[in-house]
Amino acid sequence: MEKFLLKNIENPASASLEVYLKVGGYESLNKALQMEPADIIAEVKAAGLRGRGGAGFPTGMKWDFASRDVKFPKYLICNADEGEPGTFKDRPILEKNPHLLIEGMVISAHALKSEMGYIYLRGEYPYAKIVLEKAIEEAYATGYLGDNIAGKGVGFHLSVHQGAGAYICGEETALIDSIEGRRGQPRIKPPFPVNVGAWGMPTIVNNVETLANIPLIVSIGAEKYAAIGNPECPGPKLFSVSCCVERPGVYELPMGTTLREIIYDHAGGVRGGRELKAVIPGGISTPVLTPDGIDCPMDFVNLPKRGSMLGSGAVMVFDDTVCLVKVCWRAMRFFEHESCGKCTPCREGTGWMRDILERIEGGFGREGDIELLQDIALSITGKTFCPLGDGAAGVVLGFIKNFSDEFMYHITNKKCMVNKDSQSAG
Amino acid sequence: MIKVTIDGRDVELENPVTVLEAAKQAGIIIPTLCYFEGLTPFGGCRLCLVEVEKLPKLQTSCTLMTADGMVVRTETDQIKAARRSVLEFLLINHPLDCPFCDKAGECDLQDLVARYGPEAGRFAEGKRRHPESFDDPIIVRNMERCVLCTRCVRMCNDLQASYSISVTGRGSHSFVEPFSGGKYNCEYCGNCLTVCPVGAIMSRLHRHTYRPWFVEKEIETVCGFCGVGCSMVLQMRENSIIRAIPRAEVGFNKGLLCVRGRFGYEYVESEAQLTTPLMRVDGELKQVSWEEAITFIARRLKEIKDAFGGRAIGAIASGRCTNEDNYMLQKFIRFVIGSNNIDSSARNYYAPAETYLESIFGQGITANLISGIANSDGVLVVGGDPTAINPILGLQIRASWRSGGKVIALGAPGGLKRFVAYELMPTPYSEEIVLSAIVGRLLKGKALSGENTAVEAKLRSLRIPSDEDMEVTGISPEDIARASDDLAGMATSVVVIGPDIIQRERASKNLFLLGAIAYLINARIFLLSERPNYQGVMDMGCLPDFLPGGRPVELEMFRHKIEDALGMKAPEDRGLTLFEMINEAETGGLKALYVMGENPLFNIPDSARVKKALGNLELLVVQDIHLTETAGIADVVLPATAWPEKEGTFTNLERRVQRVRKARRGKLASYGRDDWKIIADIAERFGMTRKYHRVEDVWEEIMHVSALHAGLGYEDIADGKAVWPYSGEPLRGMEGDFSVEGLEDLPHVQDSEKPYLMIERSLYHSGTFSRRSKALLSIYPEPYLMINPVLSERLGLAEGEKARISNERGVLELKVKLNKDVPDGQVLLSNTFEGFGAMGLIGFSTGPVIGSLYIRDNTVRVEKVLV
Amino acid sequence: MDIFEEIRALTEKYPDRRGALLPALYIAQEDAGWLSQEALERVSSALNLPQATVKGVATFYSMYKHRPMGRHLIQLCTNVACMIMGAESLVDFLKGKYGLEPGGTTGDGRFSLVIMECIGACDRAPAMLVDTDFHSDLTEGNIVEILEEYE
Repeated sequence: MEKFLLKNIENPASASLEVYLKVGGYESLNKALQMEPADIIAEVKAAGLRGRGGAGFPTGMKWDFASRDVKFPKYLICNADEGEPGTFKDRPILEKNPHLLIEGMVISAHALKSEMGYIYLRGEYPYAKIVLEKAIEEAYATGYLGDNIAGKGVGFHLSVHQGAGAYICGEETALIDSIEGRRGQPRIKPPFPVNVGAWGMPTIVNNVETLANIPLIVSIGAEKYAAIGNPECPGPKLFSVSCCVERPGVYELPMGTTLREIIYDHAGGVRGGRELKAVIPGGISTPVLTPDGIDCPMDFVNLPKRGSMLGSGAVMVFDDTVCLVKVCWRAMRFFEHESCGKCTPCREGTGWMRDILERIEGGFGREGDIELLQDIALSITGKTFCPLGDGAAGVVLGFIKNFSDEFMYHITNKKCMVNKDSQSAG
Repeated sequence: MIKVTIDGRDVELENPVTVLEAAKQAGIIIPTLCYFEGLTPFGGCRLCLVEVEKLPKLQTSCTLMTADGMVVRTETDQIKAARRSVLEFLLINHPLDCPFCDKAGECDLQDLVARYGPEAGRFAEGKRRHPESFDDPIIVRNMERCVLCTRCVRMCNDLQASYSISVTGRGSHSFVEPFSGGKYNCEYCGNCLTVCPVGAIMSRLHRHTYRPWFVEKEIETVCGFCGVGCSMVLQMRENSIIRAIPRAEVGFNKGLLCVRGRFGYEYVESEAQLTTPLMRVDGELKQVSWEEAITFIARRLKEIKDAFGGRAIGAIASGRCTNEDNYMLQKFIRFVIGSNNIDSSARNYYAPAETYLESIFGQGITANLISGIANSDGVLVVGGDPTAINPILGLQIRASWRSGGKVIALGAPGGLKRFVAYELMPTPYSEEIVLSAIVGRLLKGKALSGENTAVEAKLRSLRIPSDEDMEVTGISPEDIARASDDLAGMATSVVVIGPDIIQRERASKNLFLLGAIAYLINARIFLLSERPNYQGVMDMGCLPDFLPGGRPVELEMFRHKIEDALGMKAPEDRGLTLFEMINEAETGGLKALYVMGENPLFNIPDSARVKKALGNLELLVVQDIHLTETAGIADVVLPATAWPEKEGTFTNLERRVQRVRKARRGKLASYGRDDWKIIADIAERFGMTRKYHRVEDVWEEIMHVSALHAGLGYEDIADGKAVWPYSGEPLRGMEGDFSVEGLEDLPHVQDSEKPYLMIERSLYHSGTFSRRSKALLSIYPEPYLMINPVLSERLGLAEGEKARISNERGVLELKVKLNKDVPDGQVLLSNTFEGFGAMGLIGFSTGPVIGSLYIRDNTVRVEKVLV
Repeated sequence: MDIFEEIRALTEKYPDRRGALLPALYIAQEDAGWLSQEALERVSSALNLPQATVKGVATFYSMYKHRPMGRHLIQLCTNVACMIMGAESLVDFLKGKYGLEPGGTTGDGRFSLVIMECIGACDRAPAMLVDTDFHSDLTEGNIVEILEEYE
């Protein structure tokens, strides 16, 4: 498939405006500026674009809600806080194709009548900050940002707001709190950000990849766009593939490409030709799949049918050398670290589960630990303020459901099933 | 109309409310932890989860709004299980130390666990440890017990607007902390204590001495510290106050208290409380019996009256005493002794300011509801920091700001610093020019309404300062324009007037200007009041020129009415003011002074002169709870009951009459006596026949004598419903006759080389009472001179070093405290600590128009004390 | 430029000065290497925000440091991908080589080590940031080479 999101990134100067313009950059913007805002929104709706951050909410619908709100100013925020372990799909756009994002944002801003935007960039990407700020400067200098964009009387200002190490800020209301200079904790919904967001004003938060899809939709039109990949959730999708594969990296493929294709055709298969043991399809918060699930198309529709989720499209491949108890423990350590502390089940439950997993992994598991873990996870599920807690619970439930033998082995034999000599808790 | 069904009960709602609220209306109480009425919803604890038909997940009822047709269930097995698991989560890191936790018995967590389980814990890992913090003198913080409901933080931010604590850290390592991580350094309102559902934030005042079931009785009363008059509950055990707490449903303070109200009560139980009458024998105060003391006083007063006439006798009433106490003193002096020489420290500013404003606008002009400030769209504050003088009133100003109101303060904004739109900091004593300029700008292009012709006539001859005139103020014409335009744009505005703009020369002009601003922008006026009952002192006729009910004594019609009601006579002409009495005592015209609950030797300026004047008297009687400076030089000292030992009423600054209730017996109950009773006793020796058995009898008489209080029965005063103008008759038609000092000129603002000594009106102290409040002393233990860093640098003085301040009245050496909010050219000193009162270094006179305290000669030399 | 002024200038980017709090904390941290109470006080006064509020925000985000840090900050990821690719042995290696414990600082104040959650370099794991420089595909062999560049 022809690459669009990662077009030209092999060029070492791909981030520069000059190079971007040479490959047709900002042509979609010029086209969009001739369009009525409402028509752009209609086009995005018709294209069937679904948000690429994880939840898969239809972008056009979100825009529609925001555009119906009569309050101004409206803020457009790019969510560049990809912190989900295993996820690094937005990074090539941010570091190598920043003008695509800016172009996408300016088009979106025009559609949404927003004059002020922020890129909420995770603190762990200092290099992306430099690239983005340079690109923004170039865009201002050439009139793609400012008060009168491309001489069409449309105004949009953009700056980078750097996060500082908080996974929860990927959740849009926590992100808004963080931009406002607060502790990034999720807000009560409703009201939704499209009505009451940053500084109380209508705010549209879209993921980097989502916004980077906008120029393509404008350029080829909704109809052609909708023909890419699974028609129920079409478009190109970035998959970040990591862990035990020959060629880890980011792959731009049509939505709905199967896991098998991604792992074996694109990522070169399991490293050293070893046996595939498990796959996490969409980042650490999505339930793990066993090898018999890898023919599932990677999209928002089919993965839930297999008991998992597309999430951010971060494929984590584990071969037979990987101890899944340890992976589960490490994941829980992450959730405990990143729980914002607002709601009781997530704040207390993640730490409790981590403690138990740490014991099991270290050879101190007790009878009943597995049942207790499941019970804690179920006590969290559906009762937390935001999806972070559900994610944490789902990981434990997924691993235990599919790999209970490995957990049992750890508890019974006080050691690891994979690396039988090891008793380390890491 | 919204119809919802909750646990099978149909609820009809006018407006959408939360499911939690709707359930409450249906009589269903959903358990909560993070929810607290009045605070913004949080939705964090997850205890109030409910099932809602058609919604797949459980919902938090504290955040979910009702919608028509909603069907809710609040106690299913699924919900009970969810609550049990939430409680289990809350307990895993909880120390389970209920046996020695002061919260036991009134702990929400304890109660909820008892109701929903779990019966046994399954947590077998190491608990999170976080040592209890004793770094603060008032508040103990135990973060192991904290459930992170954030009620305290929301209270501190949203209602108190002090922003002194926050949740720090993240996730399970979140803790509630003040900035320092240890000591609070906050406003110490203690409102966080009210909302903490567990034993995480506790008061040190009753540490390990208190259990809820120890409370023998709860007395609902009104705070005795300032003129706001907050309702509070005193929890008693064995004649001792265990706690002073607010009740959300009682009083207009809606569950809020300030540091003084909550923690200041300990002065009552101090060792220093007087227990027995004292009489000067051979130059020394000796214990005597009540009979001996009363007989002596009556005899001496008679002798003096016979020799010099009633006008040689005067009395000082008290803003700390009840209406009944003050009424009785007034009756005694006026109708028994035959002297109109009665006044109080309300003379310092409150009484003359109110009287003057009423002479412009009519009686009741300052009688406005405090709770209304929160709904105003703008507030102008001049002459003091409301958040320190009248803290709960100050909170209303912050609340107005929170809802978008514009706050403008002239001078140092103090506790309103974060809430003012911009700073207007005039040079000392140039406020009059600034106010004139504002009035000038407001008048520009505005047609006068003609409503108050007297005011408008004076406005026509008011001198409006030119830009050149403004130079001396340090405030630019642009700033004046901005402030004036902001004021002009307010629709429901408030003008708050504090003491510092009144206690100075040309006070009438300042008051006139403030009144004019209020007139022009249609603002309600509030007069800050440092004492709980300054208003009552006035209404009870403890003024040389006004009878009870605010009726001028010199108008025969009013005098006769009251004389007829009492069957007694009062002198026809006005008596002496507080300052005039001091003058007369100095020159020998006044022979005897009866002081009730006041300490003029410390509380009015120029102590040396006051001391000499009082020393001249043939008889000085002081009735008080402590041996004050004044009591120390008295001929007779009578021990009175203190505020929680009294029954009676206070009238607050909005003129709400409220009940003060007796919570404890005075120390050695046979000795301490109610002020009104002591005075009635003496009056009986003069042949007063009316007998009073209970305080209600005194009120009954007030009701008949005061036209304002006519028909207001003692029982009607309950629940704070006695709001101006009660069912009485305000005096009408007297306004319009007033004069203004210097209407056509501007004051000469001197550029003083030496800084002005200004009185620090601290949030943490209240006159001299709080010298004996241990908790307040632990926050603010000793006198200090507050100076700004510019001055400290110039003098080479660092924080905590000693400074010497001096002028012709005296010398003081005390530690300095740096505060960048102290205006240039000023130093601040409180008037609280023995031997270190600011008043001692200040000179005074009284002005020709309003007769308030005119502070003068208050510059001081400040030097570093070399060790 | 004094950080006070620098922070003030940031407020231009936001409709409310509080928006500038996160970047302001970065500026203060860059100035002294960590956020002392004094640094927080300066941020608070530059933005006219309550001190406790500033502290609450500063301690929420893990990339703000509340203890003095070494001259160079090693932020090593040990999340799942990096763990599988050997990050744990690098932690042990740093301990042996420099006496550097997670959360600790070398005796000479040269390095501090902070364990990171995912830094988005799973395809080049294990990875780390040294100050703001990104380094990937780490091994016991190349990590020393890399670190030796930082004095």
